[in-house]
Amino acid sequence: MNIVVFIKQVPDTNNVKWTENNNIDRTKTESIINPVDRQAVEAALEIKDKCEGTCVTAVTMGPKKAKSILQEAIATGVDEAVLLCDSKFAGSDTCATSKVLSAIIKTKFPNTDLIFFGQSAIDGETGQTGYSVAARLNLPVISHINEIIGIENNVLSACSENEKEKTLINVELPAVVCVNNYINRPRLPKIEGYIKAKDYIYPTYTLYDTGLSEDETGIKGSPTKVSHVFKAEDGRCCRFINTEDENCIINLANEIKGAIGE
Amino acid sequence: MEPNGILIYGETDNNGKVAPVVFELVSKSVELQKKLWNQRIMVCIINKRMHFDETVKQLGEYGCNEVLIVNDDRLSDFENYHSEIFTEVAKKYPPRIILIGATEKGKKVASYTATKLETGLTADCTNLDTNEYNLLLSTRPTFGGQLTADIVCSTFPQMATVQPNVFPKVKQNEIKVSATYNWIDVSEIKKKIEIKERTVKKVSTKDITSADVIVCAGAGAANEYGMTLIYELAQKLNGAVAGTRETFEKGFITKAQQIGQTGKTVAPKLYIAVGVSGASQHIAGIKNSGKIIAINSDKNAPIFKYADIGIVDDLFKVLAKLPDELDK
Repeated sequence: MNIVVFIKQVPDTNNVKWTENNNIDRTKTESIINPVDRQAVEAALEIKDKCEGTCVTAVTMGPKKAKSILQEAIATGVDEAVLLCDSKFAGSDTCATSKVLSAIIKTKFPNTDLIFFGQSAIDGETGQTGYSVAARLNLPVISHINEIIGIENNVLSACSENEKEKTLINVELPAVVCVNNYINRPRLPKIEGYIKAKDYIYPTYTLYDTGLSEDETGIKGSPTKVSHVFKAEDGRCCRFINTEDENCIINLANEIKGAIGE
Repeated sequence: MEPNGILIYGETDNNGKVAPVVFELVSKSVELQKKLWNQRIMVCIINKRMHFDETVKQLGEYGCNEVLIVNDDRLSDFENYHSEIFTEVAKKYPPRIILIGATEKGKKVASYTATKLETGLTADCTNLDTNEYNLLLSTRPTFGGQLTADIVCSTFPQMATVQPNVFPKVKQNEIKVSATYNWIDVSEIKKKIEIKERTVKKVSTKDITSADVIVCAGAGAANEYGMTLIYELAQKLNGAVAGTRETFEKGFITKAQQIGQTGKTVAPKLYIAVGVSGASQHIAGIKNSGKIIAINSDKNAPIFKYADIGIVDDLFKVLAKLPDELDK
């Protein structure tokens, strides 16, 4: 079985730099692996543990330094790790990103049985990429998965759960699976893993490898554009209750009663 | 065909009840309609065969001009086919704008539709407007809510998703609404996903998106004692308990109770923030609340910039005394 896990390097949200085009300047911002993507890797590794002959490949699109999260993936136990890196990818929105990711599946990993995504990234992406890649590849997609039950006769059984209901789903492979942050606890890298990560030669694919044209990716290939960025400042005028006043709790209680119309 | 109209995904449950976010989107569309000349507001409902007369009338009251209905007994509220069907409807009635509620179902439908129509999608918008070229201007928090961005889409339809509770529902006078039934052959869609079993979970906590009163536990209140006091206060006010991301991560609330950019957007009449510092991700989820009361021992906590009433004091001390005073 061949599994691809798409992982994303996300900026450390405490220290953000912006480019002139109002996009995140990832070259100046510290990156970490998106937390739920780690769990997507773990989900793939757990299948590998059970099914002999499984090959797990971690793929990320980003600048050269995104290699660090691929190193982490290799150290944890994935077999291969690939970087999609080209200046022409820069500034891609979800539409353009999903084009690149689905194109690389078609050109480099056509025999993929299973594609994993983390449900969403913490840096402002809103969980569209997995669905969009599935749509481009015409694959079925199941999401909010918090348990992989097993794979039998090319059918994957999984459990999806939200606050209202729990659903047992069977999906025919190949398929796209988006996992949520309840699915598992990712394993820690081993010493041998770190050694492999150090020696591993990380293949880098560019626009050429995707078979896409320059107009289809990056800023050119992105229909949505940031027209204006501003600091959100729509504060209210706070009136403070004087805590020196012995009636301060009574005053607070009156404010509450006033608001609920008692 | 020149793209015309605003098409809204009319999310329904299995009984055909339309989700509140749909009415919110219709209400916002009425505002956009005034700025964009001659755009019809259309809502597309996908469900099994049933009576939709009441639903159509209700949607009309909020300003919907046309309800596009796709009904087939093979359909249910499960979204498996919805993405494909909604895309077909959007091809049949090419709209200028598509608006979808950013619910679990809605996000999936929105992503699929945008991909198949090769157009852009702006997710989780906090406001919608038009610019000088009559293009949709979608405002959304970026970068963990630290900044806000206006996003323009250069292709049609221009698509946006909006979380429930972001826009108010506004009833209109004298709107004429019509219903159109559409047939889309779902047997053409190959079934690769099978639902084996669905269990509806017992919801133990009050739904924060529809509560009139919310007491929110921030990091400062996230301990056993703090939570006991917060539940006590919420019970007294017949309200719901919510929390911030930190409180969720510490395990004191469920994901369903989390407010903020990675949680829910709420709009209660009264919102009491207890030990909440007020990170902008959190503020994005509460700013449509009626009255905001903040209790925090740090007078510099950003929450006070967004509150109507503030009390700078030890929250445990305040919460311990408050229920008695409310009884009086």
